[in-house]
Amino acid sequence: MEALEWHIIDFFQALAAGLLVGGTYGLMCVGLGIIFGVMRVVNFAQGDFMMLGMYVTYYLVTGFGVLAFLGPYAGPVVGAALAGPIVFCVGWLVHRYLMSRVTGARVVTAEAEGHYTQIIMTLGIALILSNGGLILFGSVPLSVRTPLSSESWEIGEVFLNQARGVAFILAVVAAFGLYLFLTRSTLGKSLRAAADNPVAAAYVGVNVDRCHRFAFALGVGVTAIAGGLIASSQSFQPYIGFDFVIVMYAGVVLGGMGSILGAFWGGLTIGLVQQMSTLILPYQLQNTAIFVVFLLIVFFKPQGMFGRVWERT
Amino acid sequence: MLKIRSLNVAYGGLKALNDVSLDVEEGQFVAVVGPNGAGKTTLFKTISGVVAPLSGEITYRGQDLLAVPAEERAMLGIAHVPEGRQVFASMTVMENLEMGALTKKGRARWHQLLPTIFELFPVLAERREQLAGTLSGGEQQMVAIGRGLASAPDLLMLDEPSMGLAPAVVDSIFDRVELIHREQGLTILLVEQRVAEALELCDRGYVLETGNMVLEGPHDTLVSNAQVRRAYLGM
Repeated sequence: MEALEWHIIDFFQALAAGLLVGGTYGLMCVGLGIIFGVMRVVNFAQGDFMMLGMYVTYYLVTGFGVLAFLGPYAGPVVGAALAGPIVFCVGWLVHRYLMSRVTGARVVTAEAEGHYTQIIMTLGIALILSNGGLILFGSVPLSVRTPLSSESWEIGEVFLNQARGVAFILAVVAAFGLYLFLTRSTLGKSLRAAADNPVAAAYVGVNVDRCHRFAFALGVGVTAIAGGLIASSQSFQPYIGFDFVIVMYAGVVLGGMGSILGAFWGGLTIGLVQQMSTLILPYQLQNTAIFVVFLLIVFFKPQGMFGRVWERT
Repeated sequence: MLKIRSLNVAYGGLKALNDVSLDVEEGQFVAVVGPNGAGKTTLFKTISGVVAPLSGEITYRGQDLLAVPAEERAMLGIAHVPEGRQVFASMTVMENLEMGALTKKGRARWHQLLPTIFELFPVLAERREQLAGTLSGGEQQMVAIGRGLASAPDLLMLDEPSMGLAPAVVDSIFDRVELIHREQGLTILLVEQRVAEALELCDRGYVLETGNMVLEGPHDTLVSNAQVRRAYLGM
């Protein structure tokens, strides 16, 4: 009887952890989803932009202590939020000088719509970022120190890590803000129009190339915020991007390629699967569980949970 | 209003338009007819700036249109309703119409234009919150035309509005187009494969065949032309 009770508590513990982790994964996936949805570019460097967000947060909060005046509680949160606009600017420049050469209107007529060159380009950017990170930041794992990461809220017998809880709330707020931006603002609607139909978008006066640049910068900026939020509950090094790019792609495919809202639910699901799998599988197989779910989705429902069912192709 | 002079367009060595000239006067309804593959859509894409010509001139109200980037041509008052409808599928009908109103004039006149669009196409008012991609072909065509009208254009370019639609639907679309032209005095440039309907509506017509303008003239001349009657009108 007591054993069963512990199983139930374990279940809720994993569920809670999954939800908390899933929230930040969701935000991370939304970043990738924006880029894929608008530009139709498979960005392998997404994880490395997230890594950049982690280091930006670290140096703002702990390294140079720019945000030391905010104290140990608010500092990491503000740091993560600031990582967004900073990485946004990096993304803007990367698109301006690199991505724009292999994407946009000019490559539509190229072989396979220019996807080969795009893949090589984003892989190259990923390598430069991760190895550049190694030179600049070193290989010692770091984390953003916050007293929250060793404190938790107790709900009944279930413990909620406070750092993760705060990250979850912020991730949901950021994702909701993005949702409002995409559905309410003219710029957001223009991004969606450019994603839906770039040619028709140009006919109504949308500057598609500018939309791509904004989408790329926004996408990496959003993922960087998610990275900054994760940085206070997990240690990281310059190669961490690769682990997360897998999580992100699984989330985006799960949510339905091209659906930005779906990406959030996909990421949340991935977080849940990852944490819940520890109930029945050894800890080391967490990511294997993600892949199994990923393959099941691709096999049985390739359009994802929120795929574009109205496309009759 | 729109003046095209000896326009040449090619896709990778394959000539799509050969020395094409065309005039649209303010307030006119001009139709360009011709069979599939004649270069009608290419002509439109060149006017909209999606395809760059090899040579030739396009002037719009005295301005060199070829020097204007594609996305800014909409701002000049040119609305292109593309072939095959091309709505923003994952956006609602309302959002599609709002995207049409990105132009300065469209934004300023949004509150006047929206009721007239809904009056022309009442079904759009009923389905304003529905995703455009889930509408029927005819309804999508109405969204596309409505989106064009929402920009408060001076020149409405319609690329084969009949494409892939049932005959009854086509008739009602053409009725609406005629209404727009008659009541709002809007200048219309239409390309159509349905020669009879298009020539019936137009003030001036052009016949395009494999990239060449083979005939042009006012409505009466064209419909009484023996060649046109035999080849296109089946008389």
